[in-house]
Amino acid sequence: MKPIVDMTRLEFAAFVAAEFRRRKINVVLSGGSCVSIYSREKYVSMDLDFVNEAFAKRPLIKTAMESLGFREENRYFRHPDTEFLVEFPPGPLGVGEEPVKQIDEISTDTGVLRIISPTDCVKDRLTWFYHDNDTECLKQAVLVAETNDVDITEIERWSKVEGKSPMFDRIKHRLTTKAQ
Amino acid sequence: MLEPLLGSTNAERSLLFLLTREQGYASEIAHFFDTDLYGIQKQLDKLETGGVLVSYKAGRTRLYRFNPRYSFLKALRLLLEKALSFYPADAQERLRIVRRRPRRRGKPL
Repeated sequence: MKPIVDMTRLEFAAFVAAEFRRRKINVVLSGGSCVSIYSREKYVSMDLDFVNEAFAKRPLIKTAMESLGFREENRYFRHPDTEFLVEFPPGPLGVGEEPVKQIDEISTDTGVLRIISPTDCVKDRLTWFYHDNDTECLKQAVLVAETNDVDITEIERWSKVEGKSPMFDRIKHRLTTKAQ
Repeated sequence: MLEPLLGSTNAERSLLFLLTREQGYASEIAHFFDTDLYGIQKQLDKLETGGVLVSYKAGRTRLYRFNPRYSFLKALRLLLEKALSFYPADAQERLRIVRRRPRRRGKPL
């Protein structure tokens, strides 16, 4: 196994996920690190947010993380060999009002990473833009759309459910996806 | 009213305050309900950890509001609105009337 210090973000995330899989705890990568992975690191997040789908109890998560050499600090987990911080935000695994529709799997030398799809990643970022006017998150959504096959029709439908059709109409032209 | 569901009167108070005022800080909520600060702080912290609320700093004050990404937010707001409608009219009015306009520092009341 490659030393942690030499692991890429994807390998590191898969390494953590593998331990949880071994313990039969389903975790899915969400948040800013998905943007980093899908944008080929054009956006860099130092946080890895794993949502535990079956609401595993905190002590189980802590035990799994400690077995990998992590220490808990203020609800984050830190490892001495990496700058990445790992967090387990509370579920459910959703984007706005709806559950995440598709979970993708990426195989690496360190394990298999379960990750929200590029389309859900764009929705996830747009949630912050829609509700908080966070333009940095809009930029991240644009980055993911540019470099991946993203379902714009689905994002339009979801935006309507969120009551944000007018905002979607204003930014639609920026979501030029690789699929188009 | 929602205490059997939420497990805490202070959680209900905090959520109702944030429903009507959009945002608030612990001592403001505690003062409004004339209750102890620690109890409110504890519930706000718990609700934030659970993803229901988010907080940010404004100067030295930590302001809380609903997490726009919380998947059950719409349903929660409906439940809280329903609960609020069962409160006495004067309590509802106190919660809903919010002074937002500015007041110059030092101006007499």
